[in-house]
Amino acid sequence: MTRWHLSRRSLLAGASGTVVAGTTLGRARGAYAAGKLSVGFWDHWVPGANDTLTRLCREWAEKEKVDLKIDYIPSQGNKLLLTIAAEAQARSGHDILAMNTWLPGSHAERLEPVDDLMKEILANNGPTNPVVEYLGKPDGHWRAVPATPGSQMKGPASRLDLMKEHAGIDLLAMYPPDGPANAAEAAKWTWDALLAAAEKCHKAGYPFGIGLGTTSDSVDTWGSLFQAYGARLVDEQGNIVVSSDATRAALDFSKRLAAFLPADAIAWDDGSNNRWLISGKGALIFNPPSAWAVAKRDAPQVAEKIWHHPAPAGPKGRFGPYLPYYWGIWAFSPNKSAAKSLLAHLSTRSAAEQLVAASQGYDIPGYTSFNDFKTWLEEGPPKGTLRHYPNSGDQILSIAAAPAPHKIAEQIYNQATITKMIARMVQGGESADKAIAWAERELEGFMRG
Amino acid sequence: MAQAAGGAYRERVVARGGSLARRRAWIAFFLCLPLILLVLALVVYPAFYSLHLATLNKSMTRFVGLANFTFLFKRETFWMVVEQSVIFAVSAVIFKALIGFLLAHLVHRLPDKGQRKWRGMLLVPWVIPPAMSTLVWWWMYEPSYSALNWLLRSVGLEAVPWLGDPYWARFSVILVNVWYGAPFFMIMYLAALKSVPAELYEAADIDGANAFQKLIYVTLPMLRNIIAVTVLFSLIVTFANFDIVRILTAGGPRDMTHVFATWAFKLGIESNDIPLGACVSLFMFPILGAAAIFILRDVHRRSRELAGVTG
Amino acid sequence: MSRAEATAAPAAFVPVASDLLRRRHWALWSAYFFLGLFCVFFLAPPVYMLVTSLKTSQEIAALEGSPWLIREPTLANYAALLGSPTFLNFFKNSFMVAIIVVSVTMVISTLAAFSLARMRFLGSTVLATGVFLTYLIPETLLFIPMFQIFTWLRDVTGIEFINRWWILCIVYPTLTVPFCTWILIGYFSSIPKELDEAAIVDGASTLQILFKVFLPVALPGLIAATIFAFTVSWAQFLYPLAFTTSIDQLVLPVGIVTNLIKGDVFNWGQIMAGALLTAAPPVLIYAFLMDYYIAGLTAGATKG
Repeated sequence: MTRWHLSRRSLLAGASGTVVAGTTLGRARGAYAAGKLSVGFWDHWVPGANDTLTRLCREWAEKEKVDLKIDYIPSQGNKLLLTIAAEAQARSGHDILAMNTWLPGSHAERLEPVDDLMKEILANNGPTNPVVEYLGKPDGHWRAVPATPGSQMKGPASRLDLMKEHAGIDLLAMYPPDGPANAAEAAKWTWDALLAAAEKCHKAGYPFGIGLGTTSDSVDTWGSLFQAYGARLVDEQGNIVVSSDATRAALDFSKRLAAFLPADAIAWDDGSNNRWLISGKGALIFNPPSAWAVAKRDAPQVAEKIWHHPAPAGPKGRFGPYLPYYWGIWAFSPNKSAAKSLLAHLSTRSAAEQLVAASQGYDIPGYTSFNDFKTWLEEGPPKGTLRHYPNSGDQILSIAAAPAPHKIAEQIYNQATITKMIARMVQGGESADKAIAWAERELEGFMRG
Repeated sequence: MAQAAGGAYRERVVARGGSLARRRAWIAFFLCLPLILLVLALVVYPAFYSLHLATLNKSMTRFVGLANFTFLFKRETFWMVVEQSVIFAVSAVIFKALIGFLLAHLVHRLPDKGQRKWRGMLLVPWVIPPAMSTLVWWWMYEPSYSALNWLLRSVGLEAVPWLGDPYWARFSVILVNVWYGAPFFMIMYLAALKSVPAELYEAADIDGANAFQKLIYVTLPMLRNIIAVTVLFSLIVTFANFDIVRILTAGGPRDMTHVFATWAFKLGIESNDIPLGACVSLFMFPILGAAAIFILRDVHRRSRELAGVTG
Repeated sequence: MSRAEATAAPAAFVPVASDLLRRRHWALWSAYFFLGLFCVFFLAPPVYMLVTSLKTSQEIAALEGSPWLIREPTLANYAALLGSPTFLNFFKNSFMVAIIVVSVTMVISTLAAFSLARMRFLGSTVLATGVFLTYLIPETLLFIPMFQIFTWLRDVTGIEFINRWWILCIVYPTLTVPFCTWILIGYFSSIPKELDEAAIVDGASTLQILFKVFLPVALPGLIAATIFAFTVSWAQFLYPLAFTTSIDQLVLPVGIVTNLIKGDVFNWGQIMAGALLTAAPPVLIYAFLMDYYIAGLTAGATKG
């Protein structure tokens, strides 16, 4: 702790040194006075969450005498994506931008490497989970700093009552509200168990709300299923390995599961499953706690029966989708040292804890040692629903399309190759082999450099 | 008389020599200068820059010539998008034109004092910003809360997977486009109908023409120019449409509703392949350009013929 | 014989006349029927907008009864929007952008259309066609290069362009000017040449001809172009999405979509209230100026 303070202070001192020097220089240069920092954060959907982030930043800015400008950019309407693309092209804009999942990798050449900063942060916070490292260190260098706001898990959010009544699954026995996961009970929570439950709930009139669309919720769910079966599309070296028995097994399972999903699951987007759960029509969705949070407001009688818990296990293990956000510093930023100083300030345990509390437990920081914040134990009703929302039990965090090389994996994820394969079988009536052959052709296209 | 005056004027210009003509040419040029600057700086230059982008590799570090285009030609999704864009634009424009024409006729037949009211109500879809109206359509199509499906079920019909089934999704997307665009056609045709001289119909009545014959031999020839021009404009706007498809389906299911603009966005912005996205966008230009030249040439020829007849 | 014929003729005529009358009557009635049908189709979405905007989010989330009816009407969604400085600021930005864009467009288009309709210079016919062709280039293609232009301008002038609402006043004319110029060329061409020739004989200068002769005569065309420019700048979506990020710089449709939808959380009541409020100004404008719009648009478009 002491060492951290020292090193952080020296970092800050370095930064403010530049700030002072910069101000005198800045007048001469005109357009960009050093000592100015412009930041584009992800616009959090939880009311008030932005305020805590703003407060943390202001604290820093006052101490460092930096003229800080904060924009909150929503991901809706692809606003954040457009801003990032345009700023990358124009080589101008904010100094720091929030970037989710694949973006640090796709803009790696245009981002300032933050290896030095990450070394400091990791020395204090301990290691990140493997997804954060895979996505944030795409070319052997850390290209962005893991951010707390927006980073999320996409495990199941299930109806305790419906799952028990219609499928005979007692989620509280597996993932109790007041303690760690019960390993023996949780071992029964497999994809096969989910399939059986899906069938029963479908019969009872409460189908599972798992989308088969092309947006991130759908891709994450089916991606974790593929990983649980050991089905890969492209391996680490960039070879196309989609044609395998594992893929065929995963596709076969997917087809059986899809039969019990809502008829238009293929058109679902990231909001459809939320509405499905909130409307009370469904027994299970894969989603971060946003659906539950909205249900607390609009349908409290549904909300108090929702339980967040890890994904089911498959032959190769239990894989839970984790989607990290990052803060990246543009290589063109005129004030990189101040930017790094701010990100160091936001990466402390105390900052992360405040941000998690402000997000009502939605955000999950990427550092494994941060998984014990009390917010998750306290949020409710039902009390404890978020206890197993951060990684719990034997779950391995993952992201769809990993471990393919970054630029290929990004295409697989964004083009939703996995869900499209399943959709071709379910809706197009194609055989597994035909869907795989189609995927092979698509993947060849993704190889272009 | 008019010709005489024009002739006199022209003679005066010639008499004063070339300097006046040259001065007028300069004035004419300066009047157009703001337009020229705007178009050069914010349309022509960016367009050529995009052309340049389209010849780079994915990370935009290397010139690859036409490799992006040849790459596209080998993608099955590309040909799907070409086909779907054509289906989308052509069928939407045909329905917009037919509905617009029908509505214009119906409104035209009403007594004068009722016309304004009907016209106003029918114009509403075109006046609401499309990004907003598409949102409400999407909300009406939404699987769990669909207000349309509620109506269908309440009359005993099956719920429709508006956006879930690729063919229904195509229908839904086209329906919204027709809903948004048909009023514009109606307004244009209505105004044109009013400008058709009543004598022509009287003459047709005397010749014993029925309503259908009047439509074919009087109305349609008189409206030919305006039909061509509105169809052209609508074709351009529909072909380049982004909002409606993006908000309703984002190209799904299974890419079966993607059009050029949405697929270009998917590739260029969402998948970070700006050169490829630029390539796809560029394909719109020659297709539309050909349609424009074809239709406008016809319009000009017709105008000249009409001028020849009357003058 | 002749008597019989004389009496028979009116007798035969009467049923024909009443038949004609009945047919007219029937035609009118069927016209009303079809128009009513289309009105239902055309007005259902805005009506549903209104219905949803008057509901609480609990009522929207509950799947009970008809979604077309309101059980507990509330004005809370409107109050929330109209009481929010952020939303009022979207309104203000939108109005400022629309007013400036309309003014800039009208100046550029009128001057150019006057010149292209009446005068000749080297390349003027090419320009007239070229203006139309610019309409064919999609926005999706232009916004990234535009970003680079504005960055370059920033480096040269020291003024920041990106993420300022007024950048839209520079960008939107690329969408409005070609069409408005095109309409006005058509409208100006339809003005009889005798008018300006008479003015020239009276010794009027070129600009005097434009202001004293053309503008008054072409008023419907000018109004049509103005309304068009307003509609386009009011409804634009992609450019403001790309060029403005800060919440105090946003304009209406983008502001609503990006601030009332957060991730996968939709605030439908407020979205619909916002959509209706956004639709109100253009609806009002069309309600009052539709006749001019129609007159101006058709004269321009047919002759072009």
